[in-house]
Order: sequence, then structure tokens, then C-alpha cells
Amino acid sequence: MSRYGSRKGFDLEWIERWARCVNEDRILPVIGRFFNNRFVLGVDETEFLIEVRGGKIARISEGLTPNDLGFDFALRAPSTAWAKFSQQIPPPMFNDIWAMAHPLHKQLTIDGNQLPFWQNMRALTRMLSLMRQV
Amino acid sequence: MNQHDPIVGRYVYVTCQGKTYRTYYEETGEGIPMVCLHTAGTDGRQYRHQMCDPEITSNFRVIAFDMPWHGKSIPPADFYLMEDEYKLTTSFYGEFIVAFCRALDLKKPVIMGQSMGGNICLHLALKYEQEFSALIALEACDHSPGWWIYPLHHPHIHGGEAVATAVFGLMSPESPDEYRWETWWYYAQGGPGIFKGDLYFYSVDSDFRDQVHKISGRLPIYFLTGEYDFACTPEMTERTAEKVKGSETIIFSGGHFPTSEDPAKFKDVISPVLKKIVQNDPDRRGAGRALPGPVAASGAVSRPAARRVIEL
Repeated sequence: MSRYGSRKGFDLEWIERWARCVNEDRILPVIGRFFNNRFVLGVDETEFLIEVRGGKIARISEGLTPNDLGFDFALRAPSTAWAKFSQQIPPPMFNDIWAMAHPLHKQLTIDGNQLPFWQNMRALTRMLSLMRQV
Repeated sequence: MNQHDPIVGRYVYVTCQGKTYRTYYEETGEGIPMVCLHTAGTDGRQYRHQMCDPEITSNFRVIAFDMPWHGKSIPPADFYLMEDEYKLTTSFYGEFIVAFCRALDLKKPVIMGQSMGGNICLHLALKYEQEFSALIALEACDHSPGWWIYPLHHPHIHGGEAVATAVFGLMSPESPDEYRWETWWYYAQGGPGIFKGDLYFYSVDSDFRDQVHKISGRLPIYFLTGEYDFACTPEMTERTAEKVKGSETIIFSGGHFPTSEDPAKFKDVISPVLKKIVQNDPDRRGAGRALPGPVAASGAVSRPAARRVIEL
């Protein structure tokens, strides 16, 4: 195991464990009170649709269908990048979503409408940081 | 009994490019004047720990000012009539630093700046080397692109929260939570569009890649960069320093806001630099309290000559 911890596999079960951590969090309902969006978490070729209501995750699903009618924004990165991001102490350049997305590093892409991404950045950052507790 | 920090604050009037700015500054200590430059969108509070450290303030008169538009320094009186958004330029930033030092009658001060305050050190070395005795450029490089972007000043986005969260990941996850969130708070308090406007300097107007080789080397320059800095990575600092004559580089296991995100670690990293500056000062050598020497180099990685690395 490296200084930064071990890698993890990302499947729907892992996403569910993360979503349950999110929903147990007592800060997110406050800082995410107005976070009501549907975003895609892309891990390699797999897309998980995450539906957020009031800062909590109301629904997760694997793969997109026509019935989803799209999404607001998508965060896509290789599983190797998510594995680094979700370590207890993430390594430099992988410790933050904007660090990974920044044009200097390009480890993660933000697609779709970026307005709700920036509008909810504080809550989203906390939400994703809870991956370190899964 | 009441407890006070030794820091005192005052306002000085500084004229720069045709306008006079009521400028807030804080200071403490005696000895070599050291003027501290805050990062984009924030203010001089980022240096509060160094200003309360007797080992530093017995050797240095530490002064931290708030740039116009920042902290307690107000914008120019006619700011509401401006026909362009706020943008910090290299020429204004450099001239303002020099004008501030002259307004306080400082004799060849040391400049310590971080982030944009680090990058401007390159301009100071190029244009004003006679004005200063040493430059400490924290988290600095000759080109730091990618930050002058609309989301950082947009009416549909909460500027304070978005700006502060956008920089949060620049800090080391191992820096104390208390101080990382205090740094977040400084950012959340910036005026609308000021962080973004500063980043016009940081990402657009301060491309020194074709200039830094002209720095003479007569003015000592110390580069210090934390490994979690994703805006100015250790490699970006090292690439810059290789072109700057007479510079020294220290890479340490911190982030982009070393003075405020982890003051204890920063003290370990900066003390040998400050000690060297005191030793090189003929007038003040040995006057103040002894500064700690280099940290025991356990696990230190060896680098080429003149490049020092501290693993903390």
C-alpha cells in the first residue's frame, strides 16, 4: 500500500455505499440545501447517474437511458484517477475535483451545463470528498 | 487579563498611476523590513502567524498590506464608473509595491509574496532590483495559466463560496483543517470580481517565460513551492528557477498557501531562508533572536546543486 492508501473498485455497490455516506452526513443538508441536480459520475466507460435533492442523493443508476432525458453535468475520469481521488490522503493533483479538471492537468472532464457545477461547488466538493470514507 | 496579538494596523496613502489609495497595512517586529504580499482576492491576514512569531519579529519588521480593493483597503472613489471590469496588471502591481515601500520610507526591504505575490517577484527582480535586498517567492513560476475564467465572477454563482472552494484543493490535505478553513474564509470574503481580476495578472498579464533569463542574479531570490500546488506545481517552479540566476528552490510537502494553511510547517521551511537573509545583512547581522537552522534532513531527496528539498 502506498503512503496514500489502497485503490478501490468502482461499481454500483460502491456508489451505493458512497451515497449512503453522503446521506448520513449532517453538513450537506445545510450547505447543499439548494443543490437539486442530476449529474453523471463517469468511471472509465461506465456512467452512473446521481440524482441530488436538497444536498442528499435520492437515486443512483448505472448507465443512461432515453427515459433519463439527459443530465445537468457530467464528471468523467478514468478509474485510476478516481482511485487516487478517493484515497484517505489523495496524492498531489488528485486531491480535488477542480485540481483534476484544471486545464493544466486534465485528469477529469466536466461536460454539460457547467453553471450548476459552479453554483453547487461547495456542496459537491464535500459530497465527493466523502468517497474517502467508503 | 486580556490577550492581544502584537500586530498593529494603520492606513497610509499611496499614489500609483495617477490615483491615491488609502491603503491598510499591519506590522510588527524590529529589524530588516520585510513586506509581505497576499495572494489573489485576499488580504494581509494570511501572514498573521508569522507576525506573531518572536523568532521572526525580533529579526524582521514584518509588514503586510492589503492591495487596493482588498481587505480593508478601499477601491478608488470612482470605481462604480469604471467601463471595464477590475483587472490587476503587472505594471500597476509592481509600481504599487514600490510606491508602498517608499510611502513607509523602507530601506531596501525584503519582499515575501505568495501565489500572485510570488509571481510579481519576477517582475520586481527584472525592473526594480535596486529597491530590494531579497525576494522570497512562494508558489511562484513564470507562467500560471488557466485561472482567468468567467465562473469566478458570475451573477448566477455565489462568488465567495465558489472562489473559496475553487482554491481549497490547492492546499495539502494534511494541513490542519482549522487553518485550511480559515484560508477558505479569507477567500469567501473577497469583493465581487476581485479574485478573478487578480487572476488576470496571474494567468494572463504575467507571462514571464521569455523574460526571466534576463534577471541579473544580483538580488537573491528564494523559490518555495508546496507539492500540492496544482496552479503552480513544483515542476513549474523548478523550470522557472532553472532560468533565474542566483535563485534557490525549496520544494516542500505543503500547498499553495503555506503561511496560512500550515504555519508550523511553513516556519520549518522558511527559517533557514530568513537566517540566510539575516546573515547576509551587514547592518543587522546577529541583532535579533536566533532563527532555527535547517530541519534535520531525514528522508530528504537529493537534487542538483543549489536546489534544496525538505521532506517534512
